[in-house]
Amino acid sequence: MELLLQTLLNGILMSGIYALVATGLALSLGVVGIVNFAHGEFLMMGAFLSYLLFAFRGMDPLLSLGLAFLAAFVVGALTYQGLIRPVLRAAELNQMLLTFGLSILLQNLALLLFGADTRVVAPPYQATTLSLGPFFLGVVPFGAFLLSLAILLMLQVFLTRSRFGLAMRAVSQNRLAPGLLGIEADKVYLLAFGLAAALAGVAGVMLSVMLYASPTVGFVFTLKSFAIVALAGLGNLKGVVPAALVLAMAEALVSTYLPGGGGLVEAVFFLVLFLALVGRAWRKA
Amino acid sequence: MKGFGHFPLILLSLVLFALLPFLPFGVWQAFLLDVGFFVLLFTALALSWDLVARTGQLSLAHGAFFGLGAYSAGLLAPQLGTLPALLLGALTAGAGALVLGSVTLRLHGLYFAIASLAFSEVLRTLALKLPFTGGPIGLPVPPPFAGAWPLATYYLSFGVLLLATALSLWAERSPFRLAQAATRQSEAVARVLGVRVVQVKLWSLLLGSLVAGLAGGVYGMKTLFLSPYDAFSLGRAVEALVIPIFGGLYTTLGPLVGGVVLVSLEQALRLWIKEGYLVVYGAILILVILFLPRGLVGILGRRRG
Repeated sequence: MELLLQTLLNGILMSGIYALVATGLALSLGVVGIVNFAHGEFLMMGAFLSYLLFAFRGMDPLLSLGLAFLAAFVVGALTYQGLIRPVLRAAELNQMLLTFGLSILLQNLALLLFGADTRVVAPPYQATTLSLGPFFLGVVPFGAFLLSLAILLMLQVFLTRSRFGLAMRAVSQNRLAPGLLGIEADKVYLLAFGLAAALAGVAGVMLSVMLYASPTVGFVFTLKSFAIVALAGLGNLKGVVPAALVLAMAEALVSTYLPGGGGLVEAVFFLVLFLALVGRAWRKA
Repeated sequence: MKGFGHFPLILLSLVLFALLPFLPFGVWQAFLLDVGFFVLLFTALALSWDLVARTGQLSLAHGAFFGLGAYSAGLLAPQLGTLPALLLGALTAGAGALVLGSVTLRLHGLYFAIASLAFSEVLRTLALKLPFTGGPIGLPVPPPFAGAWPLATYYLSFGVLLLATALSLWAERSPFRLAQAATRQSEAVARVLGVRVVQVKLWSLLLGSLVAGLAGGVYGMKTLFLSPYDAFSLGRAVEALVIPIFGGLYTTLGPLVGGVVLVSLEQALRLWIKEGYLVVYGAILILVILFLPRGLVGILGRRRG
């Protein structure tokens, strides 16, 4: 029983980051209407930024968070301006090919620059654990979970209270009408894409401490985020958090209870994706 | 009629490839045959990808079909002999495609792209974990026909390319082309016109995966050794899609031209930078989509007016 509860606890802690990354993906998909295969690469850049700042400046990853948010926002905005905007009206196949090409380019550029090694950011508090009765909580996963929740709450407030947030939701619901009301869709897209990248960048900093920074770390998260978004329903931001919880719990259960489950954890997201798609195809038919 | 003007060029390049082993290249012979083998094989893979792309679907699973064919053929070849093993390898890849396609092709196109990417990642994980694949250590594969004929792999590869070219030309000339184009341009309109959209997509995927599986089987018999990271590499899917896009989408000549240029370039790049040569493919993909959406063949067509 204690093992089960500890497993579920681990799952819940992981779900925060999953929700953060997947929300970014859902934003670029729901608002801009772009299938961004390079979403995880923004996360990878955040992780490497955190590593570089820690290794060469000794900067605490907590401080890198803000910097990574800004840097990823700028990179995301530039990506939108330079690459996404020209293909907004192109065929969906071309859009997907473009972001896929960007993903391949960034991954392999990182591979050339940093090599395939994994690099961990190890601040003094990295291995600290809190004990909660019979259960153990890593300080870092717990902190990352709380931080993710806080960021998601702020995003919720931004989307429901601010003018820009309302404009974003308006554009995601209808492409034409907001233009008639004087909302510049182009600016909204820019902001949404930048914000999506920034969310991934922040998650990357957290992962550089919890997991590691490596050229391929982002790619796995792109896939997992797609699984979460497919489960939640395209562009459905509210469904992302429960969907992330489902994926994280399923992964935790597999890694604890399945013999030799350690390697198969990486296949769980596919099962979730597959079941979500079967459900969708079945409902549609 | 579309594609008809390119026919002499296609025929010429095929004849050149057929004669390549008999041309006098002296010391370069062995090296050129190696490069030629990979050009043939990956061009065939690219043609099989294009066959799926003609319905507007982005397949990122061609690396997985390739790997499925390679592993099945590699596991079966010692018992069954070369040709039956290759055939069964292709059929395994086709079975995988049917499973993947029957679930995802009814949905919006992006679901297929995502699921196909996930499919290839999971198959690699399985190849690493399953008891009979040799896991991370890899799987040794016997040479074709017990090594009786040194040119066997080259001509097997040539055979795969012939098959892929024939399929592609057939799809370009027959009414199937119209069904594919209608499906790509607007599924709703195609449905109204009486095109069975899901069937067209499923058939295209099945044919594409059969060729990709066959190519994978031949690949294993050339390298004589398969590892999950090599056979199921995402890089294979990248090559399969960059070649047609660079050469010219939805044509037969495009992948042929793109394959000769890019695969030769890749063999040279691999000598120079070991890892990360895919940077070039990523960059080409972005640049071509932005500035040259019709590929090399598109330029050719424009010059001719």
